Amino acid sequence: MTLIADRPGPGTARPYRFPQVVRRSVAGGDVVAAHLPGQNLAVAMLLLDAGAGREPVGREGLGGVLAKALEEGTTQRDATAYALAIEALGTELVTGLDWDTFQASVQVPVGRLGAAVELLAEAVRTPRLDPDDVRRVRDDEVTALRMDWANPGPRADAALRADLFGAGNRWGRPMYGDPDSVAGLDVEDVTVFHSEWFIRPGTLVVAGDLDRLDLDALAATAFTGTGGGPVDRGTPIEVPVRAGRRIILVDRPGSVQSTLRLGHPGPHRAHPDHVPIALAGTVLGGAFTSRLNHLIREVRGYTYGIRGDFGSSRRFGRFAVSSNVQTAVTAPALVEVVGEIARTQAGGVTEDELAVARSWRAGQLSVELQSPRAIAGALSTLVVHDLPDDYHARLREELLGAQVDQVSAAAATHLRPESLTLVVEGDAAVIRDELVATGLGELTDHPSAELPRM
Amino acid sequence: MPDSGYPWPISTTRLDNGLRVVVSEDRTAPAVAVNLWYDVGSRHEPAGQTGFAHLFEHLMFEGSTHVAKTEHMRLVQGAGGSLNATTNPDRTNYFETVPAEHLELALWLEADRMGGLVPALTQETLDNQRDVVKNERRQRYENVPYGDAWLRLLPLLYPPGHPYHHATIGSMADLNAADLATFQAFHQTYYAPNNAVLSVVGDTTVDEVVALAEKYFGGIPPRPEIPAAPDGRVVPASGVPAVETVVTEVPAPRVYVAHRTHPFGSPGYDVVTVLATVLGSGRGSRLYQRLADGERIAQPDLVGAYGVDLAHAPAPLIATATARPGVSGERLAAGLAEVVDELATVPVTAAELDRAKALLTTAWWRQMSTVDGRADVLSRYATQFGDPTTVAERLPAWLAVTAEQIAEVAAEVLRADDRATLTYLPQDKQ
Repeated sequence: MTLIADRPGPGTARPYRFPQVVRRSVAGGDVVAAHLPGQNLAVAMLLLDAGAGREPVGREGLGGVLAKALEEGTTQRDATAYALAIEALGTELVTGLDWDTFQASVQVPVGRLGAAVELLAEAVRTPRLDPDDVRRVRDDEVTALRMDWANPGPRADAALRADLFGAGNRWGRPMYGDPDSVAGLDVEDVTVFHSEWFIRPGTLVVAGDLDRLDLDALAATAFTGTGGGPVDRGTPIEVPVRAGRRIILVDRPGSVQSTLRLGHPGPHRAHPDHVPIALAGTVLGGAFTSRLNHLIREVRGYTYGIRGDFGSSRRFGRFAVSSNVQTAVTAPALVEVVGEIARTQAGGVTEDELAVARSWRAGQLSVELQSPRAIAGALSTLVVHDLPDDYHARLREELLGAQVDQVSAAAATHLRPESLTLVVEGDAAVIRDELVATGLGELTDHPSAELPRM
Repeated sequence: MPDSGYPWPISTTRLDNGLRVVVSEDRTAPAVAVNLWYDVGSRHEPAGQTGFAHLFEHLMFEGSTHVAKTEHMRLVQGAGGSLNATTNPDRTNYFETVPAEHLELALWLEADRMGGLVPALTQETLDNQRDVVKNERRQRYENVPYGDAWLRLLPLLYPPGHPYHHATIGSMADLNAADLATFQAFHQTYYAPNNAVLSVVGDTTVDEVVALAEKYFGGIPPRPEIPAAPDGRVVPASGVPAVETVVTEVPAPRVYVAHRTHPFGSPGYDVVTVLATVLGSGRGSRLYQRLADGERIAQPDLVGAYGVDLAHAPAPLIATATARPGVSGERLAAGLAEVVDELATVPVTAAELDRAKALLTTAWWRQMSTVDGRADVLSRYATQFGDPTTVAERLPAWLAVTAEQIAEVAAEVLRADDRATLTYLPQDKQ
């Protein structure tokens, strides 16, 4: 035999270490940095307490429009000059938005970070926001959302979110808004949102070789001209859970696959069960080896992939499963997915499954946290959720120490198979009767308009 | 300006069975990347067997002589690792990044499926993964607007019989016809140590890797004759533009303009890489400035240009734009063509060139910022150019490109009479 039959065991584990974290308070703002010796690239990310959760109801997508408008020129230069200046350093201005924060970042060879942060601050703090530009950016954003909403997924996501959290609440509407909400924004919405949230100092996250960076100078650049203190971030929101399951059908005529979005409300990020909940989600739907992916992809061949997880922000959370399955197997796939969630809730996890889940999640803390961009993301977790410098090391220990009974208890408590909302986006004419016949729950047709056109 | 794009050590060893083992030590983090390139891709597929190299890639995760079905994923994830594989026209790669103490496990798994896949391959596994791949095709190409653009562009660029004529995902008909014996033969033909490169980067040493590679891969016999793919290096210019218009369920008109250029790795393609960045990367690019900002006929988020880094034939350069509301496909196509044409006639300025080189420099170091990013380029350069150390030359080569070279290459390869244009138009509402 030419192959070695015996599977090798692990060698000696190297000690885990997250890069050294440095915190400073400078010029009214905070700096959180990680030292990456020898790294040629550096990332700076400005975090502002201006996430989608700060947008007024009916003004969803405001942060997205403002993000685009930041690059339409500053008080110092026009849009073209700004683009050429920042790209000449080797970076674009990358903006991002989630429920808790707005982020603007640059990534450059380390020697250029000072100049890049100057341009970042120039756009974020002193954008021109010319009314004609703002209106054009808004119209472009409406078009971009219509393009996106022509894909399978966004309409199903919106239907699920509205059903879980209530469309009367900001958190029951799409994080990036929808074409209609953005079309309804006016110039004043954008300028007021900027003056309210974008000139508070916020936190500057830096990941790079700190021996070649001057944090105080970067901070002074980022925080110059800022004012106003932190604003109360609100407490976790109590979200009612449905008494029974329901199916919401979103029509997509001619679709060769059905898009599945299943979910129910879940715990917020600071819930004390966070780690066992995450591990329960990993066993059920988080890893390639998860129960759902094994059954729906590897055994049945119904899909290219399926995943499920508990997602959480500061104020709320949800459990959700997403997949695309071949149209002809929509009903059996849905039945099997709900069955697997119910089995996991009732029976918990096994030691073998948990062994994979805990090692995987712990190992990912070294394997996936290598690049400056990834380290900056990890630092932003510390900032947004008020976590200590040694959070990642502690998390690793907590993951590796998690026991079957804890994780099974988390599954029993936090999975709600009887309260699931089952959103199916697909060819209603083909799948509607089969979905009704599953008996999984009452079926409602989603009153959404036809696919967007321009 | 750096004189090397790869400031880490590189060591290459060839085992007696022909397996090339490339090691690059870096003890910064306690992680190690394992990356295998097999020199087989969809360019090797004969007519009637499109999609087979990629479907085969799926089968490589379904068990081998000493590894049960689905155990490969479970063992790597259970070791804390990340893993995947990809197939393209040129090659198939397999990779995992694991905490350093699990290096030996990763090598054992890779050796077992290199040397022992066939005994574990069953009809049931093939049928299951065929269904998975068909769903991959539906999800990525059929069920999304414009999803089939790549499938339509390739036959416009490369004639029948050319190794890049068909797309890697293959046709549904060929996937349906795939039989077990073909896949057994596929493995026996191409999955040999002398047709592969193993790269290991990270928290290890050359001695450790070479000893482990010898232990696990050393007993796998080489194949004497590995058939080459058809030679695609010369593609005669047709002298006639290729034009296709698709009227279908899309939300707005979109145009793709594509050209055959030079093979990845050649001096000409280095020029194309810089040219593509000048043309279509970022808000300072010509396409953005002219079509999204200037004339405002294109949607700002959906305008761009890029080269597809293929090494065995003149590689594609693709430029694309999507119409703003009220703009016709015809007007958009004319605007796009005009900007592409001007690369040969309107000299690239020093500012445009500096901007492109700065963006490329960041992109390069981003690829190099992880052990898995480095392992993949080492496998590429060893497989395609015979020497992994030549990876260090790429970034300096980009930085040496001049405006004159861009104009020359544009005049040579971006000719309007040898252009493929693919236009999507929305169906009229009924």
